[in-house]
Amino acid sequence: MHDEAYENNRLHGKHLLWVDNITKSFSGLTALLDVSFGIERGHIKALIGPNGAGKTTLLNVISGILSPDRGHVYYRGKDLTRLRPHEIAAQGLSRTFQLVRLFTANNAKVLDNLMIGAHLKLKPSFVKSLFLRGTIHHQDRVIRETAYEKLRFVGLEPAAGETSPSNLPFGNQRLLEIARALMAEPEMLLLDEPASGLNDAEVEEFKKLLLAVKEKGITILLVEHNMKLVMDVADEIVVLDFGRKLAEGNCDEISCNRKVIEAYLGSDYVNVAGRNHSG
Amino acid sequence: MKVKRNLGWLALLLFIALFPATVGRISPYYNTVLILVGIYVILAVSLDLLIGFAGQISVGHAAFFALGAYTSGILTAKHSISPSIALLSGLFVSGLVAWGIGRAVLRLKGYYLAMATLGLNAVIVKLITGFASITGGASGLLHIPPFQIFSLTLQDHTYYYYFVWGIVILVITCCLALTKSPFGSTLIAIHSDEEAASTLGIDCPKYKLHVFVISSMLAGVAGSLFAHFMGFIAPDDFDILTSILILVMLFLGGVGTIYGAALGAAFLKLLPEVTYGFHDYELFLHGLILILVLIFMPEGLLGILTNVKNRLLGSKVLSNPPSLGTDS
Repeated sequence: MHDEAYENNRLHGKHLLWVDNITKSFSGLTALLDVSFGIERGHIKALIGPNGAGKTTLLNVISGILSPDRGHVYYRGKDLTRLRPHEIAAQGLSRTFQLVRLFTANNAKVLDNLMIGAHLKLKPSFVKSLFLRGTIHHQDRVIRETAYEKLRFVGLEPAAGETSPSNLPFGNQRLLEIARALMAEPEMLLLDEPASGLNDAEVEEFKKLLLAVKEKGITILLVEHNMKLVMDVADEIVVLDFGRKLAEGNCDEISCNRKVIEAYLGSDYVNVAGRNHSG
Repeated sequence: MKVKRNLGWLALLLFIALFPATVGRISPYYNTVLILVGIYVILAVSLDLLIGFAGQISVGHAAFFALGAYTSGILTAKHSISPSIALLSGLFVSGLVAWGIGRAVLRLKGYYLAMATLGLNAVIVKLITGFASITGGASGLLHIPPFQIFSLTLQDHTYYYYFVWGIVILVITCCLALTKSPFGSTLIAIHSDEEAASTLGIDCPKYKLHVFVISSMLAGVAGSLFAHFMGFIAPDDFDILTSILILVMLFLGGVGTIYGAALGAAFLKLLPEVTYGFHDYELFLHGLILILVLIFMPEGLLGILTNVKNRLLGSKVLSNPPSLGTDS
């Protein structure tokens, strides 16, 4: 018998998150096959691949929405595989979604979304809400300040707090979702195609935001199609294709990797691209 | 603006407080009507927590109404236990049953949850009818004593009126406090998107269970108040039609606002007093008014009131997007 957590720390010590041989299939269709990679603390790791490569499935496995058929996800050496999504969030992992998922029921405002993002800090209960009104009021003020701070951080006007999220332009809704994820003060962010639907100027702004998040010491796993953004911000890249890991490395290694070019552009382009690179 | 709004509420409270001394004195019958209104306000408001805030549709609220009523009724009528303790027992039993059943049933979503709660209602009514030796069966439970606080018997409907409305105001205040607190925001998150909520650290099953238990306990209190008021209860009082009536009150008044539920309950309980005079056409008129409200006022009665108020006060109607909520 050996201590699993200790063993993993020894093996994957420098990695904050370690994805270990994840396999997941949906009624016979293999979405992920033996995918393994790690993310170092404080790094931005990009997860790229053609549509249907299994990127979102992998994010869902990491955040506990899906459970893998085989394999494990370790975070700080702790096995997350059997934990439920809210327990994984409590470990310090926040995420955003490919299609923005903001809370809009009962006329919820932008500020409400942010307050809900602070759930892990508030830990509301009905007993507290009814009998500890003083504490609630105090917490409320503190969290509200944090909410305005996060709004400013992602580049939204504090005045936006009182509007309905669906009244915000699409790009701002994405920013709001990130601000909401940041409300939990996570150690790591999982971002699912955060730049899709943004125009060039917005992508440029978004790049600055990502680097500012990294500056705060937050580790990021970035699923993204916009290669320019990926190349500009990522410390390492891992490439998925048909559920398998195709390549892993830094930006230069990936951009001239034969298999990656083949997967993206087709085998006809391999020689052309290779020649261009050497030339 | 704020003063004006508070004045409205003060006027309403004053009306409720002075009712037995004015209208109720001339015609005591209306005291009894308003007691029933109060009981249904508690039912509709408690259901609003579950449906309007947490987004969990229940078509079996009358089951917990029944549990409260029968627990209180049996304890006082057959075992001579003090009504105050019986009321608390009713609250406890409703909550306990909700806790046990909720753990299983709340895994279901949408229509399936609605069907399951509908089934629960049917089962509870059948059980009450079946265990006739304890519950009096289909012919009902007789001789439930009026409510008593220590040695003060609230046989006089005027006293009971104040007791019931005191509880109604307490329930509404607590529900408003809950929904405006982070607990309420958590429910709204679950209502909007359970999966997204869970990735923010919200334990959805736990919160759904908690709100289900709270909502059921309040229905239990309403049941107990009902039993001691009527003195006689029968399974028919708590069948599926009652659940649907509470649901209609909620949607008629405006869902997800607490005030709306209270308004809907009052409206639907007072409507027969108006249509009563039309004798044969009563049911027809009743139905017609309901249909008109639901078709032309999808935001419910509260939506209309809010619009009218905004227009009267000259505030920018446009700045209030169409919503179920009261303006903030």
